[in-house]
Amino acid sequence: MFLRLVADSFSRRPRHKLLTGAALALGMAVATAALSVSLDVGDRLAREFRSLGANLLVTPKADSLPLEIGGVDYRPVNSGAYLPESDLGKLKTIFWRNNIVGFSPALETPVDAWTKSSQTYSTPAVDAHTILIGTWASHSVSVPDGSTYVTGIEKTNPWWQVEGRWFNDDAKECVAGKTFAARSGAKIGSPLNLNGGGKHLSLFVTGILSGGGPEDDSIVAPLRLAQELSGKQGQYRRLYVSALTKPEDEFGKRDPSTLAPADYERWYCTPYISSIALQIKQVLPGADVRVIRRVAEGEGAILTRVRTLLWLVTFASLLAAALAVGASSAASVIQRRTEIGLMKALGAASSTVGFLLVAEQLLLALVGGGLGYSFGILLARLVGQKIFGVAPAFSFLVLAVIVGLAAIVTLLGSAIPLRRAARYEPAPILRGE
Amino acid sequence: MMPDRKMFWRILRRLLAANRGRLFVILLALGAGAAITAALLNLQVDARRRLTTEFRAFGANVVIAPSDSGTSAESPRFLNDSLFADLTEGMDSSNIPKAEFLYGVVDIARLPAATDQQPGASTKAILAGLEYSGSRPEQVLSPALVSVTRKAASGQILSCAVGPRAAAALQLHNGEILVLTSDSRELSCRASVLPSMGSEEDSQIFLDLRAAQTLLEQPGRISLIQLSVPGTPRQIQSCIDALRSLPGADVRPIRQFTEGEAKIYNRISGILSATVGLVLLLTALCVMAAMTNVAMERRNDVGLMKAIGGATRRVLRLFLAEAALLGLTGGILGAAIGILLSMWLGKAVFGVAARPRLIVYPVAVALTIIVAIAGAYPLRRLANIRPAAVFRGEA
Repeated sequence: MFLRLVADSFSRRPRHKLLTGAALALGMAVATAALSVSLDVGDRLAREFRSLGANLLVTPKADSLPLEIGGVDYRPVNSGAYLPESDLGKLKTIFWRNNIVGFSPALETPVDAWTKSSQTYSTPAVDAHTILIGTWASHSVSVPDGSTYVTGIEKTNPWWQVEGRWFNDDAKECVAGKTFAARSGAKIGSPLNLNGGGKHLSLFVTGILSGGGPEDDSIVAPLRLAQELSGKQGQYRRLYVSALTKPEDEFGKRDPSTLAPADYERWYCTPYISSIALQIKQVLPGADVRVIRRVAEGEGAILTRVRTLLWLVTFASLLAAALAVGASSAASVIQRRTEIGLMKALGAASSTVGFLLVAEQLLLALVGGGLGYSFGILLARLVGQKIFGVAPAFSFLVLAVIVGLAAIVTLLGSAIPLRRAARYEPAPILRGE
Repeated sequence: MMPDRKMFWRILRRLLAANRGRLFVILLALGAGAAITAALLNLQVDARRRLTTEFRAFGANVVIAPSDSGTSAESPRFLNDSLFADLTEGMDSSNIPKAEFLYGVVDIARLPAATDQQPGASTKAILAGLEYSGSRPEQVLSPALVSVTRKAASGQILSCAVGPRAAAALQLHNGEILVLTSDSRELSCRASVLPSMGSEEDSQIFLDLRAAQTLLEQPGRISLIQLSVPGTPRQIQSCIDALRSLPGADVRPIRQFTEGEAKIYNRISGILSATVGLVLLLTALCVMAAMTNVAMERRNDVGLMKAIGGATRRVLRLFLAEAALLGLTGGILGAAIGILLSMWLGKAVFGVAARPRLIVYPVAVALTIIVAIAGAYPLRRLANIRPAAVFRGEA
């Protein structure tokens, strides 16, 4: 009888149920979209922040004092210490290896460069003294576990724009900085002669680099060639690492050496920039890993704020969705005063009537919430695609929260009119008062 | 016409007063909608501005260097230190934090504590003469560097800030005397060791610009100016364009930050716009539900009005006027609450109360009225009511 009543109520007034259901579905769709976008947005934004480039810098520990201005080292090649290139694969074996977005080693060496092939190596006519930066454009690193990982300067310095194309790491190619190209006359597709450390090289220019820093006045070439020119085979001087991190909170700022073992474990297994730095230090012997504070802290501060902001906004839209759905389910109960009066007049207890209405509402919540969820996922995909170019990942949490929310909200919305309905005297209602 | 209008308002008053409970519910729905909309709109406008300030945590975003500079240490080129004043003539540059640098290579050594000891080992290092201005220099320099040079400025003896790597190379400690030598000129200063910043500053020595100019024998010259230009990506670009006018100087954005910032800024403001849109949709839904409720209850009233000769259009106009009035009241109350709410939210998120934007208030009220009228759409069904059917008690 109970089920029949419920079924009857749906079949007799399909339009009403449709309207309430639609309101519910729409409200839940919006809630779903807001929730799944903001669940996803933290990771997305963290990834966006990697467009700021490296946040960790690795240098040899036993180094002499670098003479750096604007990120270029002006020390002579034979002073200072170097690190072995062969160790770099180990970076992808640390605990947070998947958080390492990219890394690129750098080795600088001073060179004389000229473009005309007729000039001899010994007397370059054009005074184009510059720095050759050896690095990886897109290099396959073999990781000790047998796999390979492709990384390079494009990952760590994504703001470096190349007109033409990047050099091939195995070829005798290079890209010329914008300013350097203008003063030396280097062009895409023409050869560039280099003389450095008593060795000569002729490279093919594949692109013009514009980065907005001192690299605009230098030549960027494969690391192997810089090693050859400087006589430092298999070595590099600096390594830039770009890692996805969690903003440092109070716990993350504590000195790891003062932590209790359990806390240390937690610190080590959280992707704080400092714990990633420590893990890199452990796999690269003789290296000093420093956090590029400006990038890391600026990123942390902004990320924390944006996350808080988005959670507040999500909460506001959940609240609005709850209000909307609650109001519409309240409306649907009020409409059925006469029906309730009749049921009571026929001898139904208040609890039976309440139970019936609650069952109807829950059924509606389940169907409307489910529909709203699938619609909301589509909406979230649309929004995610538009803002980040990537749809948010599927999350069971959202489904659970949405269905739960739909049920709670419809029940709460019906609770007040239901309580009133329980107090209805059948007679006046049936009289139409 | 006159008594007609009087009657109109009288009916309206009665309609509103008839069911105070329901009136309250609708007002609450509209008010809550307006509050959330106003709060989010205000927060959105404010967050965009606040974000551009937050981005300044990354430090300088524009550098002015000598044009076609080979910044190589052997053949440095210089700018005149009066350049910036010339550049910004006629521009409001007072709120742009700026730092001027003069770079040079010097020999550094630690002064022995006792006079009979041998002077410590010397090494080559980059000396950076530094001068900054603007109300918030920490937006262009590392905060640690600013606080060290500030504190040092009050001391008697000339002081210098030493990067941690440079200090480690000399085993120099805070408060010890450092001797700087360039050619045959010598200068000693009291060293304060900086915390690690992970950048090239870690191996540099910072000294007052005037003292550095004397030591390096480059009076009136600087190598580099760093600026931290505030504003949206577009404002930064227009500032760069304005600065480009002077010959001999090359003004360029630090692409790492300007581009990254522009990207992130667009993403975040995209998200905020999307959420405001969603919340508006929800508010409309909320009001629509409340209005459906009203329509149901009003069947008898409408039937009666029609029975005694009320034209459908006039009846409808009556209900629309009611909806608009409700929207106005709900909007005015709700938006005021919403703006207060956004100030509190701004405080919670950015640590600074969001500045209330006057434009947000009328926009939020207008949106609420539109939503209330659009939400009255279910009332359209009232036009189809047949008075006789209502009086017979048919559903």
